[in-house]
Amino acid sequence: MNGDASIPLIETHQLQRKYGRGDAAVAGLAGVDLTIHRGEMVALMGPSGSGKSTLMQILGLLDRPTSGSYRLSGSDISTLSGSQQAELRGRRIGFVFQGIHLLPRLSAIRNVELPMAYARFPASERKALAMHSLSRVGLNHLADRRPNQLSGGQAQRIAIARAVAPGPDLLLADEPTGALDRASGREVLALFQHLNADLGLTIILVTHDPFVGRHAQRIVELEDGRIIGDRAVDDRIQPEQPMEVHV
Amino acid sequence: MNAFTIALDSIWAHRLRSALTALGIVIGVFAVVTLTSLGSGVKSYVSGQFSSFGATLITVSPSLPSAHGKLAHHPFGGGPKQNFGNIPSTLTLGDATAIGALHAPSIAHVAPLVLLPITVSTSSTGSSGISATGTTAQYFRAEQLTFSHGSFKGQGVVLGASAAHTLFPQLKNPIGQKLYLGQSALSVTGVLNSASGLLSKTSNASVFVPIAAGLQIAGLHNISEIIVQASGNSQVNAAGNAITKVLSRRHPSGDFSVTKDTQILSTINNTLSTITTFLSGLAAISLLVGGIGIMNIMLVTVTERFREIGIRKALGARDSDILVQFLAESVLLSLLGGAVGVILSAIASQMIGQLAGFSAGLTFDAVALAVGFSLLVGIVFGVIPALRAARLMPAEALRTE
Repeated sequence: MNGDASIPLIETHQLQRKYGRGDAAVAGLAGVDLTIHRGEMVALMGPSGSGKSTLMQILGLLDRPTSGSYRLSGSDISTLSGSQQAELRGRRIGFVFQGIHLLPRLSAIRNVELPMAYARFPASERKALAMHSLSRVGLNHLADRRPNQLSGGQAQRIAIARAVAPGPDLLLADEPTGALDRASGREVLALFQHLNADLGLTIILVTHDPFVGRHAQRIVELEDGRIIGDRAVDDRIQPEQPMEVHV
Repeated sequence: MNAFTIALDSIWAHRLRSALTALGIVIGVFAVVTLTSLGSGVKSYVSGQFSSFGATLITVSPSLPSAHGKLAHHPFGGGPKQNFGNIPSTLTLGDATAIGALHAPSIAHVAPLVLLPITVSTSSTGSSGISATGTTAQYFRAEQLTFSHGSFKGQGVVLGASAAHTLFPQLKNPIGQKLYLGQSALSVTGVLNSASGLLSKTSNASVFVPIAAGLQIAGLHNISEIIVQASGNSQVNAAGNAITKVLSRRHPSGDFSVTKDTQILSTINNTLSTITTFLSGLAAISLLVGGIGIMNIMLVTVTERFREIGIRKALGARDSDILVQFLAESVLLSLLGGAVGVILSAIASQMIGQLAGFSAGLTFDAVALAVGFSLLVGIVFGVIPALRAARLMPAEALRTE
């Protein structure tokens, strides 16, 4: 997956996802062709039911397409076994979700360590990377807090620290600001922009909110499971400087 | 952050539910271990009763000629034994004398015994329901019966402890009192101490007269049985063979049988084992029910934790990681239940043992059985919920908001 830069990170062809069977089948995706290169920051936009979350789940290997092909870093994911896909999710893909998806019984640092634990990183390396990642989002002083002792914005930044700690190539964020107030939301979006600009991390933001979309470089619009628009963002909102973020 | 830490944490997070779930296993293990422990406690109690006189007694009793060569099994023996009535005895005092005359080193004591079909009373017309037995002094040595007053001598009668109390409730020392056996008046020359052995208790309610006098009073010619005490545990078989040999010469038809107490002991032990196994088996059914309880709760847990499963899978958990996590939880729950069951059982069998008067400690076997069983229950009934959790597609799991 570290392959050469001329190979797109993501390349789908006629990707379909149907729910249910036979005549009653509902199309979540009705044939999506999408190419995303390394280092891009892309917003997938559309109203609810447009298929943007379904597409993100397939791109993140959380779901399998009904038909069509998906090449991740040039390799066809349909040839991968379940546990190979799990390994890719753990090491190469980071997820940030709308609700706060931290495990409530684990401290912040334990949450951040989780993907590396599943990827069988040695304990000492795991801990060092987790601390590094926490300081990158500016929350290393909250390492031992439980999720219920954190504000919504803090929890989401911990979730971002967790997603980027193993050093993934791709970060997928599904409505990452949906549950946050405006100020926390802007902080989180600025953090994404920093991670994209400074680490070259490829980021896909799924959102219905045009303001959030304007933080990306490129907007792909979906409706009824199809791409109806794909354009560069002219009026991009640039990262605010300075920030309490140490990259 | 291994599977068992996660499992422990999850069990702790739902303390009440976990406790109630494990309760089924607690009860099941408690029942199995307690019954097994009590069973082996009773067994060693019975063995102890025998070994107080070494299980060295051999009983020669009448038998049908067809039973030649076979050893009759009395379900219970010891003390003055019953001739079951339908077998006419052909044993004589001469048979007892012949066994004694062997002077075999394996034989310590030989005592002929006759149950006298006559009434025992303090008056010539009354009746007390107490049985009379004719025997010799050797009988008391063989059965390890001791005298509280007097001795067995002359034409006198010796009273068992409770017989003395029944016949002469007012007297502390009834020696010299008159006792009627049928129409014959005899005087009391001795009183026995109370016998505590499981099988010698019948002697408490008997009176004993010298065998010649007894045969004469009752008008009998044959004796009921011959009690032989071997000189040691290792001599029982040699003594039995010597007795069989000499009696076979005197009774070519084989109308006698030789029964060793060791046979009775093993019969009792076998019976107790069967009962214990049967009861433990019944108790094991409650373990099964406990296991189903665990499966039920684990299925609920899996459904409740779709989101957690989804997050873990998104973070790179393999199906096998999730499987092990949920399996560890059900196994741990089951093992914890088993441990509590074993502890409760230790307390209970201690208490029951004290009340019943025998020691019923936990046996290693019972504990190993319980631990093995709860491990098995945890695995068997945890597999289905764990598989359900493991096979969940992450997208599906995360959709449950």
